[in-house]
Amino acid sequence: MIRFENVTKMYGSDVAAVREASFDVPKGEFVFLVGPSGSGKSTLLRLMNRQERPERGIVWVAGANINELADSRIPYLRRGMGNVFQDYKLLMNKTVFENVAFSLQVIGRPKHVIRQQVPQVLELVGLADKEDRFPSQLSGGEQQRVSIARAFVNRPLILLADEPTGNLDPGTGEEIMSLLDAINRTGTTVVMATHDHRVVNAMRRRVIQLDRGLVVRDQERGVYE
Amino acid sequence: MFARISYAFRETIASFRRNVTLSAAAILTSAVSLLLVGTTFLIQRAFDNLLVQWRGDVGMIVFVRPDVSEEQLSFIKQTLEAQPNVINVKKLDYLDRAASFEEAKRVFAGDRTTLSLLSVETIPSQFKVVPLTTDPNLVRGLADQYRNLPGVQGVALAEDEFEVISTMSDFVRAVTIAMSLILLAVAVTLIWNTIRTAMVARRNEIEVMKLVGATNWFIRIPFILEGLVQGIFGAIVSCGGLWTLNRTWTSGVAGFKPGTGVSSLVVPGSYVSGVMIILLMVGALAGGIGSGIAASKFLDV
Repeated sequence: MIRFENVTKMYGSDVAAVREASFDVPKGEFVFLVGPSGSGKSTLLRLMNRQERPERGIVWVAGANINELADSRIPYLRRGMGNVFQDYKLLMNKTVFENVAFSLQVIGRPKHVIRQQVPQVLELVGLADKEDRFPSQLSGGEQQRVSIARAFVNRPLILLADEPTGNLDPGTGEEIMSLLDAINRTGTTVVMATHDHRVVNAMRRRVIQLDRGLVVRDQERGVYE
Repeated sequence: MFARISYAFRETIASFRRNVTLSAAAILTSAVSLLLVGTTFLIQRAFDNLLVQWRGDVGMIVFVRPDVSEEQLSFIKQTLEAQPNVINVKKLDYLDRAASFEEAKRVFAGDRTTLSLLSVETIPSQFKVVPLTTDPNLVRGLADQYRNLPGVQGVALAEDEFEVISTMSDFVRAVTIAMSLILLAVAVTLIWNTIRTAMVARRNEIEVMKLVGATNWFIRIPFILEGLVQGIFGAIVSCGGLWTLNRTWTSGVAGFKPGTGVSSLVVPGSYVSGVMIILLMVGALAGGIGSGIAASKFLDV
């Protein structure tokens, strides 16, 4: 589903965020990207959704070399991906329903599809009774659930999560991880950047460890070291 | 498709409401600059009325009495054509009474008293003469010669009639065009800034839109529409201002004594309507350009 071939990403002429990274993520896998701050986890995610382009190497997503993708095709690549962020990035002037509907609206889905799919995904994340609330009326965990609902409503092939439990207490973090696990079981490939050792150790999934841009460990059913 | 169009319009209206102060400033600046553009057109037209008789390097007009005989008319023509070294015979133009009456309607546009006294039957016909020489004394000598021909009512010289006006017209045209252009640039910049501010204020939303797969045009269009609407609203306000200005001017001119020449400066309503259409188009264009540049440049927020 995702394949990195000797990928190097530089910021400026002398700062390498990612160095010679090579790995495969098969369809339906759950992968943790771990490492300290500044190790290149977020950059790897940004290379996967074409927010960044590498200086060297090739990034393949769903069989396409996305480095060579024309700018006009990038939106269509992203329609097959969901994104979850540490700071949720919810639109504070929209309700829960509107936030989730937004991602369908902007890709031109008709109203009847939106009315059908949004309640389904809100049910899945356990927020069916809060669709009329605004983000400011929700807890951090609930806001992250809205963010996940927005990322998943379009039934993407890939879900990219950047520190989704970073702002949450351990209990709420576990709930969020259960949700991501449930989404993964539907066949969606999940790539999650984190430095939360509890969730990594609890899940025992594949771990790719980064250190100053280098992949230093790639382990099946790994733990946080 | 309908969902996308309706989304674009909803977003445009919402953004307009969010930035009401900046939008009002952009509309007002567009209105003032477009009003000046419109005024430039009207001033130009007014001077054209004044100078309509002298178009095409005409240096002298020989007015022929309305009751002139065929023989006298043909004698005047022959006399004029007999001076090929001083007069450009090819450009010698004869306006019969009907054509002269049409021209008089523009010259005396705001002078209803004089116009009511004129008719196709009573108006003098005229020869428009383009002199080859630039020597004013030679032209003046010719004029004196023609004045005494049988059937000639009088001779008017461009030098006496319109040179001051012509110079003034050029000056006023240059100043108003320069000011219009400067103010138009200010209006485009203000619209650009309004859209830029709107985009920066909504950077989170734009980032989310891009990540969920919205195309750049889908993101841009509401912002471009917003600028377009600001430009058009500015143009509508300027049209109102122009109409009021022209009405006030027309009624003011009516108070001048007939024959002072000021009456020529009246601009007909049909011309003003044409200018208003131009203003609407220029307003839309200015708004579209300002917002289009901003929406393209600041999409990577």
